[in-house]
Amino acid sequence: MYFYRKDMEKSGFRTQVLARHFQGYSCDKSRTTLISSSPCLSYVPPEFSEKPFSFDVELMRKLMDGHNVEDRNWLFNLMVQSNLFNRKLRGGKVFVVPDYNQSMEQQREITMKRIGFLLDHGVFKGWLTGQGVESELRKLALLEVAAIFDHSLAIKLGVHFFLWGGAVQFFGTKRHHDKWLSATENYVVKGCFSMTELGHGSNVRGIETVTTYDSSTGEFVINTPCESAQKYWIGGAALHATHTIVFSQLIINGKNEGVHAFIAQIRDADGNICPNIRIADCGHKIGLNGVDNGRIWFDNIRIPRDNLLNSVADVSPNGEYLSSIKDPDQRFGAFMAPLTSGRVTIAAAAVYSAKVGLAIAIRYSLTRRAFSITPNSNEVLLLDYPSHQHRLLPLLAKTYAMSFAANYLKMLYVKRTPDLSKTLHVVSSAFKAILTWHNMRTLQECREACGGQGLKTENRIGQLKGEFDVQSTFEGDNNVLMQQVSKALLAEYVAANKKNKPFRELGLDHMNKPRPVIPWQLTSATLRNSQFQNDIFFLRERDLLERFAAEVSKYQLQGYNKEMASVVNYQLAEDLGRAFADRSIFQTFVEAEMSSGDASFKSILSLLRTTYVMSTLDEDAAFLRYGYLTPENAASVRQEIPKLCSEMRPHALALVTAFGIPDAFLSPIAFDWIAANSWS
Amino acid sequence: MAALNGGATDQVLVEEKSCARILTLNRPKQLNALSAAMVSRLLELFLAYEEDSSVKCILLKGKGRSFCSGGDVAAVAQGDWGAGEEFFRREYIMNYVMATNSKPQISLLNGIVMGGGGGASMHGRFRISTEKSLFAMPETALGLFPDVGASYFLSRLPGYMGEYISLTGVRLDGAEMLACGLSTHFALSEKLLSLEEAIIEADSSDASVISSIISKFSHTPTLKKGSAFHKHRLNVLNKCFSQRTVEDIIEALEREADENKDEWIASALQSMKRASPMSIKISLRSIRQGRLQGVGKCLIQEFRMVCHVIRGKISRDFFEGCRAILLDKDKNPKWKPATLAEFSDEMVESYFLKVNHNEWEDLKLPVRSNTTPFAVSKL
Repeated sequence: MYFYRKDMEKSGFRTQVLARHFQGYSCDKSRTTLISSSPCLSYVPPEFSEKPFSFDVELMRKLMDGHNVEDRNWLFNLMVQSNLFNRKLRGGKVFVVPDYNQSMEQQREITMKRIGFLLDHGVFKGWLTGQGVESELRKLALLEVAAIFDHSLAIKLGVHFFLWGGAVQFFGTKRHHDKWLSATENYVVKGCFSMTELGHGSNVRGIETVTTYDSSTGEFVINTPCESAQKYWIGGAALHATHTIVFSQLIINGKNEGVHAFIAQIRDADGNICPNIRIADCGHKIGLNGVDNGRIWFDNIRIPRDNLLNSVADVSPNGEYLSSIKDPDQRFGAFMAPLTSGRVTIAAAAVYSAKVGLAIAIRYSLTRRAFSITPNSNEVLLLDYPSHQHRLLPLLAKTYAMSFAANYLKMLYVKRTPDLSKTLHVVSSAFKAILTWHNMRTLQECREACGGQGLKTENRIGQLKGEFDVQSTFEGDNNVLMQQVSKALLAEYVAANKKNKPFRELGLDHMNKPRPVIPWQLTSATLRNSQFQNDIFFLRERDLLERFAAEVSKYQLQGYNKEMASVVNYQLAEDLGRAFADRSIFQTFVEAEMSSGDASFKSILSLLRTTYVMSTLDEDAAFLRYGYLTPENAASVRQEIPKLCSEMRPHALALVTAFGIPDAFLSPIAFDWIAANSWS
Repeated sequence: MAALNGGATDQVLVEEKSCARILTLNRPKQLNALSAAMVSRLLELFLAYEEDSSVKCILLKGKGRSFCSGGDVAAVAQGDWGAGEEFFRREYIMNYVMATNSKPQISLLNGIVMGGGGGASMHGRFRISTEKSLFAMPETALGLFPDVGASYFLSRLPGYMGEYISLTGVRLDGAEMLACGLSTHFALSEKLLSLEEAIIEADSSDASVISSIISKFSHTPTLKKGSAFHKHRLNVLNKCFSQRTVEDIIEALEREADENKDEWIASALQSMKRASPMSIKISLRSIRQGRLQGVGKCLIQEFRMVCHVIRGKISRDFFEGCRAILLDKDKNPKWKPATLAEFSDEMVESYFLKVNHNEWEDLKLPVRSNTTPFAVSKL
């Protein structure tokens, strides 16, 4: 069907207008029935108007959630049944969505109350005192559910458990674990994490806070020497935190030993700010106002020697610096470990946010109509327009891909070993950047796809844009992270070439094989073939890595240092980072497909995978720019997308249902929006 | 009306009084247990009334001292599973039609309301309990689980009353039903006749009109002393029954039992320990999932569960429960697996999957014009 016959569209619209005009006036009864349309629109749930599901949506949800489905449902239950989560009845259905009309102060207060409620109900049991993969996965699952309700809630938990608690776990030793972990789990102490400063964000090594050791008292002295060294954006600092991890340069006997982490108390049990600590509020933000971000100055505060988190390095009572890691670069790397957990949880939360947006926008598009195409016919469902399909369905396919990618990343994280720390760092950086960018783009598209309804706070999508925007810069600016990915790939390349050894890590082993060849003519069957899809991603990554390496070395020969040589080649670096991420995500999709085992998933998953790949090929100019696809190839790819969309269209409802977001966590326009907006 | 008179007409009596239809469950010897014929007849009547513009409201009541004591599960347990599945399929579709019925259903719960009796009334707009009401979802003692849409309507009760009622099978009186929201009104049984007449006379399908008429005949009962629904007990009830797993709930109850000698805690513990481990585990999961989905999905899920239960491949507790409670009446069922620990998460999970059989199909619900269940606004 071709819907862009303007004349048809106009005549259809005109008929509607006439029909309304004639109603009640015309004496010609037969004529009236012919052109009259129903005087009122009625809502038909998509469950009735759409075909029955072709696959088991519960099992698909299990595949996508990946773990702890029952625990997730339990937490959804707790939130739905509590009055603290802003239950509202709209159109005969219960919704639980935070009230974003509340002031910043109210949002902060209610967020802390919600945490108290979850604490009382045992939600955090084992979050820090538990051991093993099972308890880590459970914690991740529950945090994701918290993020589906409200990003502020999840971030507030993330700071306390993953950043503060994680720092104590990873940098501390037994004495710190004994003293702080259980107290943290029970909120006897409330922790925050002071890393970022006004003058330094992503470049942690440049922070200006200074710590010295006073051997006469056995204390460290922490100081904020200048305004740019004030700690900034510290979540929890403005109101609630009693303790903080402080990142600071450690100066021992006049020598800077680099960035180290300390524990400092900033408030007493009654919430009074401690002496020699100054705290100010970061103020109102474009989202995430339930989190009390603050600024901290340390005026030569003194902390006991024991408060140095000493798993990496220690200072003896008489002031001697001791570290088992001699290389300062490696030592610094060891300190960055908790940020990995942050990137993992951010990436996972981004996917769930995209799921909420898509579930709402797609359900709405299956019930909302606009314009008739032919005279006297019904208006057309939004999702029956190919253009609307093209806007939403590739994003849906990508969200499936990224869901599998997030699961892979989580498993990599919970099963981490020292051998895998490089892989974890690179994959978490790449996925965090790509998944959070995908979320923001998806939300914007969904908000536009809902028209004016997308603007209403109660419909969630528009608000989510503000709430999740921060994801693209915190725990590492996305652009900086992507440059780091490229640098890591370059290091692999250089090392392999120098030692003349095959590539092993970071999924680069495809570089050991012959360069893939892309067929001149791309038929539909070829495009849908996973071998072709593999090849095109391999080819792009391989070629960009070779180009990047060549350019960097060219600049180095001209006298640039290594750093400068990659800085000037930022365009290749960005393309390469994306190539790595897309290829890795694709591989996680293929793995999920193979592991699913359910026969009814076979065709739908391969359709989603192909749509993910085609849409990636279509949108990233790199494939044309560097000639991986000829202009004819690119045209074939583009032509394939509407076909894929029309094949996905009958499954749209099943695909968003399988996201497993309970109705109450969507919004009124996802259901009977006429009842929800009726008078009374 | 002749077309509507299938077989077994006398098991449901039909009276037409102006725009009201009065349906009386008429199997008093069996305490009005729902037979297959009654289910078919009720379904047929409800569907017909929806099309019939002269019908404005539907009154449902029971003959004798029972409203309805449930589905005729003893018959199911003794028959083959094919017939059993067909029974539940029809019953759940009837529940769905009631839940999405556009005309107000008023149920007079003047006596026993158990299991399927709950399913025949709780989905409707108005539920009137009396001093003679006795409500329970006792399925966990039978090796079954609260079905007939209970995962929908029990999960919508405030806090965790739903879990309490579902897992313990506790018996509630009319006042308690009102306290938790299972009934929308409480009236003395002696007033029911005049209440009925007033509704017939009002000749209205407007819920607010009907509600104000019922209110004229209702009064506020006092909650019995030992009830768990007293305000001061709700905290403990919610704290215990909001726990994540059955084991955690029992542990929390035991901790409470140590601290206070409240009778309701001891009897809740006793019932849960006596119940089929399979039953309480799948019941908890059913209500937790049910709380997050609409009434249609709840019934589809329960249908999967009940098919697994009556096929008995994972556990045969349903047959053992029916034997011990309904047939031999030795009240001493031997559950298998016998302990909660033996009934693994994977076993629980399998009750929620499709039945692996060529001819088996998920419950197919009829397309409805009114999809917003009445129950949500009241419960």
